[in-house]
Amino acid sequence: MRKHWIAGIALAAPLALAACGGSAPPGTPGAGGGGGGTAGSGQTIKIASLHPLSGSSAADGQQMDNGAKLAVEAVNNAGGIASMGGAKLELLSADSKGAPETGQSEGQRLIQEGAVAIVGTYQSAVSQNVAAVAERNKVPFVIDVSSADAILAQGYQYTFRLQPSGTVLAEGGAQYLSEVSTAAGKPAKKVAILHEQGPFGTAIKDVFTKKAQSLGMEVGPVASYDPAKVSDFTTQVTAVKASGADVLMVAGYYRDGVLVANAVNTVKPTLNAVWGVANGAFDLPQFAKEAGAAGEGFFDSNYHLDGKNPQTQALIKTYKDKYNDDIRTGAVLAYDAVRVIADSLNRAKSADPTTLRGAIAQTNLPSLVAQKGPITFSSTGENQGAFPILMQVQGGKIVQTYPKEFAETAYRYPATAAQ
Amino acid sequence: MSQAEAAEVESPAPEARGARRRPPWILGAVAAGLVVLAIVLAYVRSGNTEVVSQAVVTGILVGGVYGLVAMGLTLIFGVLDIVNFAHGAFLTVALYITVVMVNRFGIYPMLALAVAVPVMFLLGAAVQRFVLAGAIGKPLENQLLITLGLALLIDNLLLLFFGPNPQSVKLPGDTAVPILGAVTTVSRLLAFGVALVLAALLYVLLRRTRLGTAIRAVAANDSGAQLVGIDTRRIYMTTFAIGTACAGAAGVLVAPLVTIEPTTGELFNIIAFVVVVLGGMGNVIGALVGGLLIGLTEQLGALLLPGQSPLLSIFIVFVLVLLFRPQGLFGKTS
Repeated sequence: MRKHWIAGIALAAPLALAACGGSAPPGTPGAGGGGGGTAGSGQTIKIASLHPLSGSSAADGQQMDNGAKLAVEAVNNAGGIASMGGAKLELLSADSKGAPETGQSEGQRLIQEGAVAIVGTYQSAVSQNVAAVAERNKVPFVIDVSSADAILAQGYQYTFRLQPSGTVLAEGGAQYLSEVSTAAGKPAKKVAILHEQGPFGTAIKDVFTKKAQSLGMEVGPVASYDPAKVSDFTTQVTAVKASGADVLMVAGYYRDGVLVANAVNTVKPTLNAVWGVANGAFDLPQFAKEAGAAGEGFFDSNYHLDGKNPQTQALIKTYKDKYNDDIRTGAVLAYDAVRVIADSLNRAKSADPTTLRGAIAQTNLPSLVAQKGPITFSSTGENQGAFPILMQVQGGKIVQTYPKEFAETAYRYPATAAQ
Repeated sequence: MSQAEAAEVESPAPEARGARRRPPWILGAVAAGLVVLAIVLAYVRSGNTEVVSQAVVTGILVGGVYGLVAMGLTLIFGVLDIVNFAHGAFLTVALYITVVMVNRFGIYPMLALAVAVPVMFLLGAAVQRFVLAGAIGKPLENQLLITLGLALLIDNLLLLFFGPNPQSVKLPGDTAVPILGAVTTVSRLLAFGVALVLAALLYVLLRRTRLGTAIRAVAANDSGAQLVGIDTRRIYMTTFAIGTACAGAAGVLVAPLVTIEPTTGELFNIIAFVVVVLGGMGNVIGALVGGLLIGLTEQLGALLLPGQSPLLSIFIVFVLVLLFRPQGLFGKTS
């Protein structure tokens, strides 16, 4: 009998643990109902941060949650929402576990606990569900990271997106490849593609292929892989080597990005560049550390924090001091998302979600992420300033290299592990 | 034993059970023939020898790692009848032991075996004795839920203590090595070589020692083993501990090959289960051969069916094997 008891604990402990991760600070009971329209001093306005805090994307999710926390602190330290008598923001953090159904139920719970806006969620599939919840409850949802075009193709009124959509990212990637390789005197002729097989990688591959062909590049061979299972890329990279391609485009996530770098380093194909498009590895400081020499010279065309912006530099330092880690762009986008909400609350002079939605649609706010202009939203909710820039791993660091106004140093093309 | 023999006796229909009646060397020849056929087809498809030889070399080396991970699992499966979903999580624990040993104390990664294997052995023994022992003989879902819960517990404890950021272990002097017209790395060769040695050791343990004989006896018929004086509870504990120690060894060996996160072990779980069933439950050599077969299938399949997930070809092979040999390639023995 005693053994049953022990087994019961073993079973219950992780569940309890998971529950702890899921429901951060329990909201004050009976507080629901979203803070009405009246603003008084000492009032707090609840906003929600919904990210994958556990599971395989926990590293990104926790970074983004930290970003949102820092933004709330910054707003409160600066005196709260000025037009509402210095009302303070309160952040409700929740764990989506990267699962669409969990994201959906947590989104619903956060709204019931009085959140007047939601920031999230990293995975496109989760954002898709949360967008539906937000629309039904008429509560604004500001997406920091999630690339799928489909999310905003539903005609939702309450969902806004800060990062560039998959289409913008893929077209930008092909455009930059053409411009950079031509300027370097070695125009890309044949581009091999390695992409993860999910909706993200496939969409990037399709749009990139079309754009690259229209710019006069030949595309092939194309290989896909399962990012959750793949353990080695030497065969695929050998096939790329045999095909005589001069550029290898990679659209994938972190772990597989490191494996690609190791395979390229082992096989040593004659490439002018390994070219990431919205790659989840090649523009992270962690990648430069883990892949070491194998990742030297890798490019990534992606949305990225603006390292030349003094405000961003201050945030990078604050993050490093507080969490002893290098901030990722996702966290800066979460920070921006909270700023957008705070700015809109200030203009709306009300915490009513519907009024807030109207104010968010009118946003015009400079971003901490590299953009071609301030954050403004199109009628579908896309951030019109969002666009990718080109990063390269140089000397174990991620540097911004193109376009010129964002370049920290010049790009090196051709540049692969050859040196 | 008795079960396997009974199954043989009860199925005399020669036309339906033909595959099982054939001598083993024919099976081996058929398997080898299919592999050669796949290689030739891959060559025709890609038209390039370098790519095909790279696929074969990578397939065998990756397969060795799959086999290594599956060995411990198959032992537990065969003897305790437990579907151990925590196997991948145990492997992750060993990965983090390696991270600490290498990055904190600066030792050579492979030497972490000396710490990880005994620690994991003790952990396995403790888990079996205090958590799983009560579920022996109970419905399958009890054990299933317990091991699943354990996996969640371990994942989240690692997340709590080590944080979500990816970690890595570098093998000093890990350079490219040319082999049979292809290239690979020192770390992969090392993982493969040690996997072979480990399989041999396990085989000797099971076949040539008193403990091994007792384990096999318990696997074949536990009440019979009890009647002749074998302490089955101790055998269950020891077997689970050995299986967990295998996961520990696998963790140390794959550490230089993977990005280390709290969820890394899950990557190996599904493939390890496929390998276990393919090789025949409880058969250590079967796990190794199954691993090689899956590794080759994955790599050659990617050449034969470009643009498809490698899992497609793996499951095609899996279904075919289950169709013709439901007991696995090396079924029967335990």
